[in-house]
Amino acid sequence: MLRFAVRRIVLLVPVIVGLSLLIFAIARLLPGDPVTLAAGPNATQAEIADLAREFGLDQPLPVQYWHYATGLVTGDWGQSIFTRRPVLEDLKAYLPATLELVVVAMVLAIVIGIPAGLLAAVYRDRWPDYVSRVVSLGAISMPRFFLGLLLQLGLAMWLGWLPLGGRFPLTEDPPPFVTGFLTIDSLWAGDPHAFGVALAYLALPAFATCLSPLATITRMMRATTLEVLQQDYVLTERALGLSQRLIIFKYVLKNAMSSTLTVIGLYFGWLLGGTVLVETVFDWPGIGLYATKAIVTQDFMPVMGVTLTIGVLFVAVNLVVDLLYGLLNPKVRYE
Amino acid sequence: MFNLTRRQSLTGATALVASAAMGGRAAHAQAKRILVIASNQDIPNFDPHIATGYSASMLLRNTYDSLVRTEGTPPKPVPQLAASWTASADGTEYVFKLDPAARFHDGTPVTAEAVRYSFNRLLRLNKGNAWMVAGIVDENSVQPVDAATVKIRLVKPFAAFLQVLPWLWIVNPKAVDANKGSDDGQTYLRSTIAGSGAWRVRRAEAGNLYEFERVEGGWQQGGGNLTGAIWKIVRETSTQRLMVGRGEAHIAVDLTSEDMDALKGRPGVVSIIEPEYRTFSIKMNTRHGPLADINLRRAVSWAFNYQAMLDAAGYAQLMTGPLPDGILGFDPTLAVPRMNLDKAKEFLAKSDYAKGGIKLVMNYVSGLDQQRRWGLVLLDSLRKLGIELDIKPMIWPDMVASARSPETCPDFFPVYQTANYGDPDNIAFAAYHSSRNGGWQNPVYSSPKVDDLIIRARSETDEAKRKELYVAFQKAVVEDAPDIFGVLEKRKLAMRSDVQNFHFTPVASNAIELFPLSLK
Repeated sequence: MLRFAVRRIVLLVPVIVGLSLLIFAIARLLPGDPVTLAAGPNATQAEIADLAREFGLDQPLPVQYWHYATGLVTGDWGQSIFTRRPVLEDLKAYLPATLELVVVAMVLAIVIGIPAGLLAAVYRDRWPDYVSRVVSLGAISMPRFFLGLLLQLGLAMWLGWLPLGGRFPLTEDPPPFVTGFLTIDSLWAGDPHAFGVALAYLALPAFATCLSPLATITRMMRATTLEVLQQDYVLTERALGLSQRLIIFKYVLKNAMSSTLTVIGLYFGWLLGGTVLVETVFDWPGIGLYATKAIVTQDFMPVMGVTLTIGVLFVAVNLVVDLLYGLLNPKVRYE
Repeated sequence: MFNLTRRQSLTGATALVASAAMGGRAAHAQAKRILVIASNQDIPNFDPHIATGYSASMLLRNTYDSLVRTEGTPPKPVPQLAASWTASADGTEYVFKLDPAARFHDGTPVTAEAVRYSFNRLLRLNKGNAWMVAGIVDENSVQPVDAATVKIRLVKPFAAFLQVLPWLWIVNPKAVDANKGSDDGQTYLRSTIAGSGAWRVRRAEAGNLYEFERVEGGWQQGGGNLTGAIWKIVRETSTQRLMVGRGEAHIAVDLTSEDMDALKGRPGVVSIIEPEYRTFSIKMNTRHGPLADINLRRAVSWAFNYQAMLDAAGYAQLMTGPLPDGILGFDPTLAVPRMNLDKAKEFLAKSDYAKGGIKLVMNYVSGLDQQRRWGLVLLDSLRKLGIELDIKPMIWPDMVASARSPETCPDFFPVYQTANYGDPDNIAFAAYHSSRNGGWQNPVYSSPKVDDLIIRARSETDEAKRKELYVAFQKAVVEDAPDIFGVLEKRKLAMRSDVQNFHFTPVASNAIELFPLSLK
């Protein structure tokens, strides 16, 4: 397993190089003129050319890529042509908020989705199954931004139970930065009040984010559990008189988890780049909005930085998923 | 002992979390008198010689000082760092007497040398608002006479000089020099304030919020009772509206007409709907394609349904020519086209396209639905002349690229133009002078007569003569019909009624000045 993990990590290098090449090519080949835009409405042609020179955009493409690639290694991920802020500094500011949101949403989706799917399969065509199917269908059909607005209206506006948006109360200082996850940082600082507050602010956006993966996980878990329940070995276990609980939790659950695990890995990556609507509705200062703004203005460096980060995280999460297959199913060999 | 059911425990926990989230905040804000402004624009860079945009203008206006500041509508220059000033008769030399009380945040006095240092840094970097004085001030222009007197000799007369000064900030040379690095202090000033304004940045969370606190022992006397302010990034205008409605924000600055209507009559909320110098016009390609024909342009101008445009615009007024209503030299009696199909057909008959039958293209910025709606108004208007219109959404960088040459510029190019300073020169020069051709503010329009009027008006120091020149300028532009003169959308703000002493600024998209504000 260790050899497999090391090999996969080494294989990350060509993946990252390929990804960076692809992103670089797409960013450079797009039509449009971000340099003129960034130079401002009153810039002369000479000033526009100066700006292009300053950002190395007058160099041949291979030279530009070389500078970019060496910068990635040395920690210089470039600068936004509009804000002139270093991309790495921006990623450090925005990424933790999105990661915290996605991690909590995925934890919610897994913790609720797996038991719900299991229950639906075990009680097939009975009320738990009907409830699970109807709720899943509703959840998967509901656009996240619309759900977000409904949650704001109901739980924040009318009932006043939870905050409308943001990550922390405006007039309170957040816990000192350690991980950038406010929940963890508040516990690290030994501040239970801040932890409660951070959770309260996280609740609505995390719920709005988790619904789609929750529904998919539930449905996937139900389908795979039903398939496993029809296997001969389950019949044999039943014939041997093993208790239902033992059969479900010891034999069925593990075997049904493999496909669900794949979905979890894919969803994690998808959510990293797909939280922009929830971030917009709840003013969550995450990477989605940062990336969207950069894409709309064709701000090359932030676009490349965000895409590369999400790409690497996506590959890393799927590596973890691959390793988990082996833990769940000893038949899986890491060859 | 308490016997709690699971439901009671859950409800209790929720309430605890909610009260933790909501409770302390209101009391804290109230005790400290912190004003919360909801805006959708981030402030990614604090460098006063680089940053632009209304959010940056707001930050800089409060943390830095300039020689003069702007006040009222129309904006008038009033003392700030300069307690008084004189100008030579030919308008090429200004002498400013600095306020002896003026101090930077570290206690260093604001001197004439600091003014020279700041202007030269601005010119050296040639970014941000440097364009406002490009060709007007050079590296030898600013000359300290003594510690408290500075002379600025202009390269050529520039009547709007006092109007641009409020946007040229003075930095603390001692602080910048100590952190100059290899980039003239750009890295340092990107996230640090080295000014003399009444406020400093206490907390900056990119993409989330910027908190200001009043500088203790600041040199400015008086002001309101605020102890702090928060610029909170709120992307959705509907959320901004909810926040003001609930009292979570005191001012929301990006509201739509629909938001304003929804807030009407809401207790504790005051609506502010003010005209500002932000024009919207649909520019025509006067150099390439069918619209190079002046009679066709005039036909289009007379066929356009201005009332429909106004109806779709919400809180707005129609423009009367190229300059915004209320600005110096604006001519309210100017005869501009209004929908008249007979006249439109008359001009069409004189054009090379008497029978219509052509297809024109309008690009608009994707996502700006208002522009799409106005495109539909244009489409409907042109059909009456037998002309088809292809409306294409485009991202802004592509629009900018298309403005580079007459050949790539579409037939119709819609543009919003915000006045950065309160002088007609700002719009006249940027939007109609031929030196701006190839840029998005004036992709193609070029007229020697109009150029001459603009240059003479920006150099003229006699206000009455300037007005005459701008009246002639407006008439000449209308005769050439390079634009469909659109609307002046009003600036829409919602404010809690406990905010006092708020003054609207019609330039720089109303960069709010915190100093005079109070909370009841």
